[in-house]
Amino acid sequence: MSLTTTHRRELSVAAAYGALLVALAVFAPTFYQGANLRDVLVGAAPVLVAAVGMTLVILARQIDISIGSQFAICAVVAGLLAKAGLTMPIAAAGALATGASLGALNGVLVAGFGLPAIVVTLATMVGLRETLRWATEGVWVQDLPPGFQWMGLGQDVGRFAIPGLALVVWALVAWGMRHLAAGRAVYATGSDAEVTRLTGGRPRRVVFAVFVAMGALTGLAALLSAIQFIDVQTGSGVGFELRVIAAVVVGGTSIAGGRGSLVGSLLGVLLLATAGPALTFLGSQAYWDRALQGVIILVAVAADAFGSATRLKARP
Amino acid sequence: MTYERGLALCLVLEIALFASIGWNFFTAGNAGEIVRASAEIGLLALALTPVIVTGGIDLSVGSLLGLCAVVLGVTWRDAGWPIAVAASAAIVAGVVGGALNALLVARLGIPPLIVTLGTYSLFRGVAEGVTAGVRNYSDFPESFLFLGQGRIGVVPSQLVVLVAAAIAFWLLVHRMAAGRMLRAIGFSPDGARYAGLPVGRRLGGVYLLSGLCAGVASLLYVARLGQAKADAGTGFELMAITAVILGGTSIFGGRGSVGGTLLGLATLAVLQNGLRLADLPAELAGVVTAALLLAALGANRVLQGRTHELH
Repeated sequence: MSLTTTHRRELSVAAAYGALLVALAVFAPTFYQGANLRDVLVGAAPVLVAAVGMTLVILARQIDISIGSQFAICAVVAGLLAKAGLTMPIAAAGALATGASLGALNGVLVAGFGLPAIVVTLATMVGLRETLRWATEGVWVQDLPPGFQWMGLGQDVGRFAIPGLALVVWALVAWGMRHLAAGRAVYATGSDAEVTRLTGGRPRRVVFAVFVAMGALTGLAALLSAIQFIDVQTGSGVGFELRVIAAVVVGGTSIAGGRGSLVGSLLGVLLLATAGPALTFLGSQAYWDRALQGVIILVAVAADAFGSATRLKARP
Repeated sequence: MTYERGLALCLVLEIALFASIGWNFFTAGNAGEIVRASAEIGLLALALTPVIVTGGIDLSVGSLLGLCAVVLGVTWRDAGWPIAVAASAAIVAGVVGGALNALLVARLGIPPLIVTLGTYSLFRGVAEGVTAGVRNYSDFPESFLFLGQGRIGVVPSQLVVLVAAAIAFWLLVHRMAAGRMLRAIGFSPDGARYAGLPVGRRLGGVYLLSGLCAGVASLLYVARLGQAKADAGTGFELMAITAVILGGTSIFGGRGSVGGTLLGLATLAVLQNGLRLADLPAELAGVVTAALLLAALGANRVLQGRTHELH
């Protein structure tokens, strides 16, 4: 099969993203001046890291809508550890471990007890958010040590390090999903869990693992976001799950599991992250950002549906 | 013991608990307050019951409520239409929003979770765009505010709307052939199609109804708070879905009841109100809700003896 049939969706999202960049170059060349493009990438880095995890979850035919709440808890944990005087690597490890344990909680409920992921993660979304609010009483983590912001690297280096780290994580997982047995097991589980089990796979273990990975990556995303600001807000991450799921879906990963790629998710993250700022540069008001995000999601999935309908009809 | 009876027993125990520890909890006035505070989410939960029975979901209802509220404000104040016409325009906006979901789900066959995730952003985004994110419409006429703040005798006016909607949805889901079709579609969409059922039309219908209810709920919301803003109804979709699932409707479709949804709604509404009156932290409501949801899933599995492999 040629590239155009196997990677239809990735190519069309890449084309849309390219068209957007060209339109910006022609109509608003100031978009490329200064630090603007870099700021877009810094802002998109946490979404990319979480989208890597969400791609695995959706490929395994699951969903996790609790990551916004996990995000807030991990950011607060990282902030508190840093404030307690611990070094940056320990604070980072704390955020990842917290995320992984919260992911394991979802994993046990879904894979262990066989409960539906969407309801389990709806429950943990509400439960975790309110527990955090209860524990912190809404007080932000302030007076963070100087080594916390930008990982102590300073703003200039930090602004390259954050998207760089996100891309490294993305590339490692993307490679693993193609070349490691564990990566193929995620695709197999999402395509058909029962067949995977009968052929000697362990679908329950895979599902548990993707939720743990999702949690750990959410922890990393929270860390990459928290170090950009001087305080850690306890109300952060509201609506984060929907932004991440939207990016993965625009990137072409099928909600029915087993189909999709991390290349698509990267393009989805970039397209959605650039669309908002681009709107402002092209002379529209920023208030229409969310409407545009909605249109992009709907056009992407509707184009797919139209495309497959015509292809079916064209078949002899 | 059926699931609904178990839930009803929980609700009675909950009320007894709060009546014994709370101040002014067990009064007619407070019962009215509970109804007032939960009428909009109740309407959305009623509309989501047939949606979830077909195995679908509608994440866009809260955003659509916000958009309808903005349509009401814009047509009434900016365009100067009479309030009754503006209210009709808000309901029409709800139906149009529902029709968009219906078209994408029933015609193009896109998964409802994805469609309504997109319209969740789109509806809220249009509401924010039109109002520039900040504009707030208030000073609605008394006759309109009656819908959200008035009483008919001792009955809060929303209760009339909620009861009428509950009866209509009960008839649809439990007493009409269309309701049986919704269940059949939820159990097996392909089977329903082979049996000659109009799957597309029925599916489209439930999303249209969901949009209609979001429109009506927007009127109750604006009339209760006296203001219309783009952020109206934020998070309502999750509360409504929680009430439906707590009411025993299966997220996989095919099984569910309107009575269960009302019990689920009452359990959540009483919990929030009771905790407040008992001077307990409001966050406890979220934690207890999460525990109840998981318990409801577990109880449903034990009672129905049906396991779902992994999803």
